[in-house]
Amino acid sequence: MASLETEVLVIGGGSTGAGVARDAAMRGFKTVLVERKDLAHGTTGRYHGLLHSGGRYAVKDPEAAKECVAENAILRRIASDCIEDTGGLFVSTPWDDPAFGDTFFEGCRATGVPVEEIPVAEVLHSEPRLQPGISRAFTVPDAALDPWKLVWACARSAREHGAEIRLYHRVVDLERDGQKVTGAVLHNELTGEELRVRAEVVVNAAGAWAGEIAEMAGCRVSVLPGKGIMIAMNHRLVQTVLNRCKPPADGDILVPIRTVCIIGTTDMRVVDPDELEVTQPEVDEMLDEGEKLVPGFREARALRVWIGARPLFSPEEVEDTREVSRSHALLDHRTRDGIDGFVTITGGKATTFRLMAELAVDTVCAQLGVDRPCRTHMEPLPDSDDGQFYELGARLRAREPVPQSEEIICECELVTRQRLEKAMEQRQTANLDDLRRTVRLGMGPCQGGFCIYRATGILHAVERLDNDEANAALLSFLQERWKGVHPILYGDQLRQARLDDWIFQGVLGVQHLPT
Amino acid sequence: MTYDTVVIGAGLAGLTAALRLADEGQRVIVVARGVGSTRLAPATIDVLGFADESVDSPMEALPGFADAHPDHPYAQLSTELIRASIDWFKGRLPALGYRGGLGENFLLTTAVGVPKPSALVPETMAGGDLRAGGRFVFVGLKGLKDFYPAYLAENLSQVSAVSARAIDIAPRVEGEADVGSLGFARRFEEPTFRDAVVRRLEGQLEPEERVGLPAVLGLSSAGDVWRELEERLERSVFEVATLPPSVPGIRLFEAMSDALRAAGGRTLIGQPVIAAETGNGRVEGVVVQAAARPTTYRAGSFLLASGGLAAGGIEVDSYGKVRESVFDLPLTGLRDANGRPPFRPTYLDEQPLDRVGVAVDSELRPTDADGGPRFENLYAAGATLAGAAPWREASGNGLSLATAFAAAGSILKEHS
Repeated sequence: MASLETEVLVIGGGSTGAGVARDAAMRGFKTVLVERKDLAHGTTGRYHGLLHSGGRYAVKDPEAAKECVAENAILRRIASDCIEDTGGLFVSTPWDDPAFGDTFFEGCRATGVPVEEIPVAEVLHSEPRLQPGISRAFTVPDAALDPWKLVWACARSAREHGAEIRLYHRVVDLERDGQKVTGAVLHNELTGEELRVRAEVVVNAAGAWAGEIAEMAGCRVSVLPGKGIMIAMNHRLVQTVLNRCKPPADGDILVPIRTVCIIGTTDMRVVDPDELEVTQPEVDEMLDEGEKLVPGFREARALRVWIGARPLFSPEEVEDTREVSRSHALLDHRTRDGIDGFVTITGGKATTFRLMAELAVDTVCAQLGVDRPCRTHMEPLPDSDDGQFYELGARLRAREPVPQSEEIICECELVTRQRLEKAMEQRQTANLDDLRRTVRLGMGPCQGGFCIYRATGILHAVERLDNDEANAALLSFLQERWKGVHPILYGDQLRQARLDDWIFQGVLGVQHLPT
Repeated sequence: MTYDTVVIGAGLAGLTAALRLADEGQRVIVVARGVGSTRLAPATIDVLGFADESVDSPMEALPGFADAHPDHPYAQLSTELIRASIDWFKGRLPALGYRGGLGENFLLTTAVGVPKPSALVPETMAGGDLRAGGRFVFVGLKGLKDFYPAYLAENLSQVSAVSARAIDIAPRVEGEADVGSLGFARRFEEPTFRDAVVRRLEGQLEPEERVGLPAVLGLSSAGDVWRELEERLERSVFEVATLPPSVPGIRLFEAMSDALRAAGGRTLIGQPVIAAETGNGRVEGVVVQAAARPTTYRAGSFLLASGGLAAGGIEVDSYGKVRESVFDLPLTGLRDANGRPPFRPTYLDEQPLDRVGVAVDSELRPTDADGGPRFENLYAAGATLAGAAPWREASGNGLSLATAFAAAGSILKEHS
């Protein structure tokens, strides 16, 4: 079995793991990050993309709100390229108690969330599709956060500081020498090879899967996955993040992000984060709640539905946690379980990923007996040096002066051939879904109807895949896409889906491809 | 305004019926929400390509297929009638030079390199018939993102008896990197562009090799373009259909529209039917959303050829309610009548909603639950009909053609 040695091994390629890898590498630790699938394939890549102002937590969870306030300000500074500064609104719809607005306002003031009540007429002017029956509206500095960009930016930064990132490497076992975790055995999911990584400290950043990992080290960590469904609509029905001004509930957030807007979410405790199914009542609940915020929501085109597995840590089931706040859990297994060289960081949310990483690496330092200060809040991520927020239409603006300079492979998301080929080269992947996460290929209204055949042809040409591999890439993307499409097929999006089916099964006949 | 027949829908079914009726002297008007899917489709007339397995002869396979699928539209038509529709089509649009018939299917490659059976194919595609084997070279055009010949050739060599390879050429296209199918089709109508293509191909071709190009060989003069390429390259040249928009589909649509106009038929595109007026078991008129104001068209007969789920002839709302969009006709083929459209989690499985549509009697009249006609003078054809799975069966254009031809026959009978 091949092996390698490192100081810090990070398990999990979501925002937390990527943040930990960046932080550890920046503090000079030799760092390896392993992820069983692609970066941001799990919960991070399946959330609505809200950069919290803290408003959502101001009443129910003041500690979490304060963290959001601080981290929101930091991320605006270090991750500007991943953020669209949409601003946020809390609105009282006819279904919400207007008096809650006062509670909300006081909560924001108490936790430091910048908040202002503004006239309803002003809001309806800037958001003409918004429910006209709203009685109150408050502005907060919510924004849209692109989870893929964020995780990749952290990963790039980590690499620049010497970290190694291994994707499609699943942890099959943690190795212990007495009461110390000494490393992990990994299975390369693409080649089938095994790899042993020896590490001085292993950081378990596996999110909803953190319980499984901890068990391999002989520790009990109770993480119950919380199932949250989200639906992306085919364009931005609103331009500002919309929150219902009421205690947190299902379907109370609508986030405009990139070319779509996303409504979310639910919260249901489930047993297995890998076995999540969209149910019709959940879809209907989202659509009905969307209808309350934006009348006519049900007539708009729903592009895709997916589920995230939120990691919900259950502190009441274990003793002696070093729970920093109710929103995330940092477990130093040396003090908690007498197991050295092992740290778990779980729970939390994308908005506070950097803080979670900082706390985790602080614990790593403590276990190793060194004192190295965190610098992640001071150095911008790659592409964020100029402090410019991402702007809707950036891709179009780049294309417009030279409309015929190269082929546009995905017209919905304006992915050019050059950009796609570059991503194929960088990612060295035969997986079209990995490319989707990298360049947003196939994420627009046609859901890959046109670009996926093209991308397959290009993959075959530039990556020199043989036809069987190219066919497998095409068919697996179609299946992956269908998973997120079939529970919400209605209206004009059903017509689109039928056109796509007809392209693939009628014109191309992919069902007859040799595999 | 009064017509003999109002046809709803301008796809292959609507235009076929309208043309046949106009030829017989009827006053016909076609009203349609859009130009229909003909312009997106490869323009081959696929009657029956796959039953239990690949079909060599639709003529031989159809009777058994109809017996095995009693709810299929073909079960309402005799093989003789289907053949008559094929013969009519070939004879009525001679400029498109369709080849073939019901006796034997051509076998043409798709753009991913799998063979697909078709009964009638445009002359520009016929040279791609795979049945005789042989050597093929597929040619990519730089600037056309909708055709990948190397991928095609590798699959085709693996799944068929032919030997296939690919080359790419880059005929100069000034100022454009993203030319597209239509851009190339227009250029193929220019002699200098054809010269450039021929120059780049000469010397790269091996003896006896047939040359497959993406289906972009001109719009109105495609036949001449294709013949010239065959002559100059001294070999068989053929087109391979690829992603929409379909250049061969546009040729077919234009040819049918022109023929209909010449025969005295009228066509209104972009004017959807928004309501129907019915009474005494008959359709009396349809209300069309015209530019200025809704306009009612009255006629002796009405033909519904508004398409299926893709075209919007059948709609599904966010509550899962499925509805025929013009007359709210009863639908069949809906396996879960009360629940939501139950799509299955595996993409390539047959989906329960695939065969949803309007059931018809032997005169192609939509029926009620008791099997009688819903309206005495309403007929239906094409993808609106229940019971077919066109792309799985490779039967789409064949179904539209045959059912529209038959519906027109019923209408003529009613009027005589």
